[in-house]
Amino acid sequence: MDRRQFLGAVGSSGLLCAPALGRAATTFRLGLTPVFLDNDAIVIDQLRSALSDAMGNPVDLIQRRTYQEITAMLLDGSVDSAWICGFPFLQHRNTLSLLGVPVWHGRPLYQSYLIVGVNDGADGLSDLRGGIHAFSDPDSNSGFLVTASDLARMGEAPERFFARAVFTYGHRNVVRAVADGLVRSGSVDGYVWETLALVEPSLTEGTRVVYKSEWLGFPPIAARADRANSPLVRQFGQVLRNLNTTPPGREALDLLFLDGIVDGDASLFDGIALRMAELVERR
Amino acid sequence: MNIRSFGSWPITIRVAMAIAALMILFGIVASQQVLSTLGRLQDSRLQEFARLHAEGLAVALGPFVLHKDVWEVYDTLDRAQSNSTGQRILFTVVGDERGRVLAATDPERAPVDTDIAPYANDAVAPDTVTAAHGALVVRVVAPLSVQGRTVGQLVTELDVSDLVAQRRTASLALLVGNALATLILVMAGYFIVARMLRPIELLAGHMGEAGGAPRPIPENAFPRSDSVLARLLRNFNEMTGAIEARAEAERRLAERERFVSLGRLSSSLAHEINNPLGGLLNATDTIRTYADRPDVVRRSAELLDRGLQHMRDVSQAILQENRMDRSGRALVRADFDDLRLLFEPETNRRRQRLGWEMLGCEDVLNRFPSAPVRQIALNLLLNASSAAPEGGSVSFSLASESDALKISVADDGPGLAKGDLDRLMSAAPLVPGGGVGLRLVRDLVSELQGAITHEFTAGLTRIVVSLPVSGTLRC
Repeated sequence: MDRRQFLGAVGSSGLLCAPALGRAATTFRLGLTPVFLDNDAIVIDQLRSALSDAMGNPVDLIQRRTYQEITAMLLDGSVDSAWICGFPFLQHRNTLSLLGVPVWHGRPLYQSYLIVGVNDGADGLSDLRGGIHAFSDPDSNSGFLVTASDLARMGEAPERFFARAVFTYGHRNVVRAVADGLVRSGSVDGYVWETLALVEPSLTEGTRVVYKSEWLGFPPIAARADRANSPLVRQFGQVLRNLNTTPPGREALDLLFLDGIVDGDASLFDGIALRMAELVERR
Repeated sequence: MNIRSFGSWPITIRVAMAIAALMILFGIVASQQVLSTLGRLQDSRLQEFARLHAEGLAVALGPFVLHKDVWEVYDTLDRAQSNSTGQRILFTVVGDERGRVLAATDPERAPVDTDIAPYANDAVAPDTVTAAHGALVVRVVAPLSVQGRTVGQLVTELDVSDLVAQRRTASLALLVGNALATLILVMAGYFIVARMLRPIELLAGHMGEAGGAPRPIPENAFPRSDSVLARLLRNFNEMTGAIEARAEAERRLAERERFVSLGRLSSSLAHEINNPLGGLLNATDTIRTYADRPDVVRRSAELLDRGLQHMRDVSQAILQENRMDRSGRALVRADFDDLRLLFEPETNRRRQRLGWEMLGCEDVLNRFPSAPVRQIALNLLLNASSAAPEGGSVSFSLASESDALKISVADDGPGLAKGDLDRLMSAAPLVPGGGVGLRLVRDLVSELQGAITHEFTAGLTRIVVSLPVSGTLRC
């Protein structure tokens, strides 16, 4: 089941059309962005199963194509919580509250990778001028902000520096676009690229990492601040942070190649905040 | 054996060749029909496939092309190709309304933002695409529309190598099949016709081998299964009998003609013998009366001697003519002297002048048998004498040239009637009622490989017989 099939199934169940009327009052709704491997139905099922078991109530995993859609759903209360990116978290810092930050390779941090085709001779961003570049999402830190802010540091903007910028709305799609030669380069989540290198090496073998950003805060799970203290949200935060303590949770985390989820601090995202500021400042 | 002599080829070969030609013609027409139908079916399937492919992609891609969403166009193309079966779609490229590439299934071949024109150069609409031109890959172009507005175009390369191979295989199968069928039918035709024509060949074989006379076909060789052919062979047998009877009749006629010729001469010859007889009898009376007068007896004896010698010459000539043997001795000049001796009384009887000219070389004469040449000359002379009026003239001349002996007979008669001329000059059947003398001349001249010419000028009829001579002459 791919993302569209999954969404179709969810849509046909009426969960998306009538969230308030068609579901039980205790069903928890978790929004997912393409920050992680959202195309893997097994991962989604296992995560839903683990969360539902731990919550003692059903947990709906709701996916959308763009970060913007999920963020909007989070803000308008269509979902109770969402796994979003640090960039939109900071964009709505005042209205959102952290429930947890995934831990990857022992730290709640990740990098943004700048990738090119395996046979491309580029050594860095400056070599990619005039090419076609793939971003993941305009609200993605690793898939847009890092490269855009690096270009801002160079006094450039993506629309001027690149011949054309393409948004693929998925980190895996960025890797596909670069590997297939549709674009020359791409900005991708380092965690996704490394995980793909393990599960789909044929895809990443067609790409080469030419630049890795500094370590930045891993995409967090957030809830609307005004609901953060509701029993359901608080229970969900507890479930998230204890996910690695249950076999189903451990299995789901293993499928996601994550160590666990910790009670993160907003300061983890200072690096992203800095890039946001630079981007605004230099434009 | 060349084409021009096709008419002279054996009928079995001609029938086999005709069957082969017809089969090849039929094979070409039938193969053309089969390949044409196959091509139409293939093209119909191909066009349907191309149309469905283009329409399906147009629906899916329209909004993305409208928004120039490179990734979604690519993703749709990529998924469409990976989901397609049969690997017919080799490559698809989508361009915007300005003709710039938005995405292609092979981005390295058709990079984004390059010109789509090179890929659409020889592309055709889905409804007209065909695999008939032998190309292994064909291109289809279709517009992409959203709400009636053309927002871009789609070019797809289709692999039609399987269809081309199928057509080639069908062509080869037809070629081999037709060749085999033609070969089998040609052989069958040859054997069937040969079998059917066996009685005809039998007939031809008995018709006159090596120029010989037709001979009857044994009854046991008649085909039992074909009553028509059996009747034909039976008729042939009857005909050979009739021909033999006719030849025998002609032989008898020719023989009779010789006697007729002699018969016609006999009265004249009787005069030749009778006239001197009176003188001879007078001489014997004179001897008897003047037995004591030696001088009278001597003169009478001399008279007797001359008369008897003349009679002896005449009788010898008659004997010679009557003893004619066709395979006999060679012709000599004396034969013509005999002929003159026999013929001259006939002209004397009719008070005709006889011109006689002998210029022939003895060596030329010796090349010919005596009997037929004498018969030719005698018949022509008798005919000329009959034709010439009382007191008219008949002339005979013999001349030898380097390659022929020429016998010329002329008279001042009214010329040959048409019937007589036909007898002399052609092999047309004899008209009942006429003699066979002139026809005999013709037959004898033909046997000697000679030729006859006839002319009638200034009241003079001249018939010239030319008998060819081969080898070196000693004169």
